[in-house]
Amino acid sequence: MAADHVNPSSGDLQDQQVAGYQSPLGITQTTTVKLPGITTDSGFKFEAVEVNYQTLGKLSPARDNAILICHGLSGNAHVAGTHAQTGRPGWWDFHVGPGKAIDTDKFFIIATNTLGGCAGTTGPSSPNPHTGRPFGTDFPRITIRDMVRAQVALADHLGIKQLFAVVGASMGGMQALTWAAHWPDRVRICVPIATCTAHNAMQIAFNEIGRQAITTDAQWNGGHYTDAHFPAHGLAVARMVGHVTYLSEQVMARKFGRRRQLDAVNKREFSVESYLHHQGDSFVKRFDPNSYLYLTRAIDEFDLFDHATPEEVLRRVHARFLVISFTSDWLYPPVQSRELVRQLKRAGIAVTYLSLESDYGHDSFLIDNPPFANVVRHFLNAEYHPAAGHSAAAEPVPAL
Amino acid sequence: MNEGIYETVAEWIPEKSRVLDLGSGDGAFLERLTKARQVLGEGVEKDPTLVTRCIQRGLVVHQGDIADGLDQHADATFDYVLLLGTFQELIEPAEIVLEAFRVGRQVIVSYSNFAHYRVRLQVLFRGRTPVTPSLPTPWHRTRNLHFLSVADFESFCHESGMTEARRAFFNRRGPVRLLPNLRAETAVSLLVR
Repeated sequence: MAADHVNPSSGDLQDQQVAGYQSPLGITQTTTVKLPGITTDSGFKFEAVEVNYQTLGKLSPARDNAILICHGLSGNAHVAGTHAQTGRPGWWDFHVGPGKAIDTDKFFIIATNTLGGCAGTTGPSSPNPHTGRPFGTDFPRITIRDMVRAQVALADHLGIKQLFAVVGASMGGMQALTWAAHWPDRVRICVPIATCTAHNAMQIAFNEIGRQAITTDAQWNGGHYTDAHFPAHGLAVARMVGHVTYLSEQVMARKFGRRRQLDAVNKREFSVESYLHHQGDSFVKRFDPNSYLYLTRAIDEFDLFDHATPEEVLRRVHARFLVISFTSDWLYPPVQSRELVRQLKRAGIAVTYLSLESDYGHDSFLIDNPPFANVVRHFLNAEYHPAAGHSAAAEPVPAL
Repeated sequence: MNEGIYETVAEWIPEKSRVLDLGSGDGAFLERLTKARQVLGEGVEKDPTLVTRCIQRGLVVHQGDIADGLDQHADATFDYVLLLGTFQELIEPAEIVLEAFRVGRQVIVSYSNFAHYRVRLQVLFRGRTPVTPSLPTPWHRTRNLHFLSVADFESFCHESGMTEARRAFFNRRGPVRLLPNLRAETAVSLLVR
């Protein structure tokens, strides 16, 4: 739990100035490793993939304490600690660190930038080996499962046969579910947060508005834009729409209401307008428009049960689950998590579920949120039994 | 709730049974059952703070109301479904018990006896809604929606096609064997169909 208990209005710590907030981890680094290629669901063969990742804490001698953290749409491998260049804390610094919900004193944390992303891992802005220029829209279509394939390759590289836990929210939650369903022997605990097994029409609709904003920007050029001619406006609008869906009516009323402030050219605008412009502008500086297109497409196409019934898919699962949703999250509403929980339980899987009271909307998992942090901390601690057998924690309760 | 009820229920449940505890509170009882009887348990609890206590104990727990906790499960998932201390608070107890029999083979229910002589005396001589050790909350703050007696529960079971396979009664001094409808403050029944 963060000592100073601050609540940014929304968004992760990377895009927020949180006064006085300092990461207890100090400066942390990410590394990029070149891994053996993967073949995507669409049949494309990457000769190699580069994965940018961060590790925190120490891997136990039995290699049984690794937790993979999967980020949402706009995240990256810099999960916690202070970034050496930007000086900003990682996107989940509130919940990852010594003594925090995901305790770096106890666990070995791995965070990767997703395949298709734009923060060091192979994606549309990476050079196409055949042309030397960025892939752009020549990048193959990728799926959530392809993203997990890159994470599996990293786990192999790190010599980790079984992760203690995969934790992910939003798009990261889809990755966590995919680990449990398709690599059942490689994950003991699955923690999907504020996510679903397949997008509904409303979720796809908001993503499509974002994609349209990018692809109709005059600078988009079919995805082969340059730094000088960059579809910044389209990407900013996409981010603004996204941000509205991450908030809630209550938090917007409290944070902005109908208040006004002066903008850059001394025009009085609503505070919420100014906030969205700022979110759009800061996002443009760190995100690639094509990545936005590819990742939102992969999210929209994701369906955990697309090729088989829930019974068939979940029969293979060995992991025990903690599923969390938030009452004011209208983008990934609790009803979707409850449906997931119902399917898991009916497949005989041990699952603990909470719909936590919070009025911060989808962003509830990103903010300093002690009830959420307590649930995650106690669950991970109760489930973790070091191979050495010196744990004072309760005996595990077997799955029904 | 009466310690005797917990001991009795723990005795009734064979080792390694599958148990769903509806209204599991902080999970203390389910943890005891898990340790003493090696049951495979799951709790259902509304209050997130109590749910977090269950998680701390290493229990599988579902945050939700009792109907929601039952609805999550396939038919015949459990050997025992427990309704300890929550029965009188249910809006539709008959429907919940029916649903509990879909999810579990046997159902264990505990309740406070409204026909205890102390209750009868208070109604008769004071003309007031009784406040007793087993019904400690005044009428405007109690969560109990239904006030029933041992005799009422017997006819409820009969009318619902259930049998009380085992019963136990308690007052403050311990187990009650004679005249339970008059002398028992709390009751617990193992129901079968």
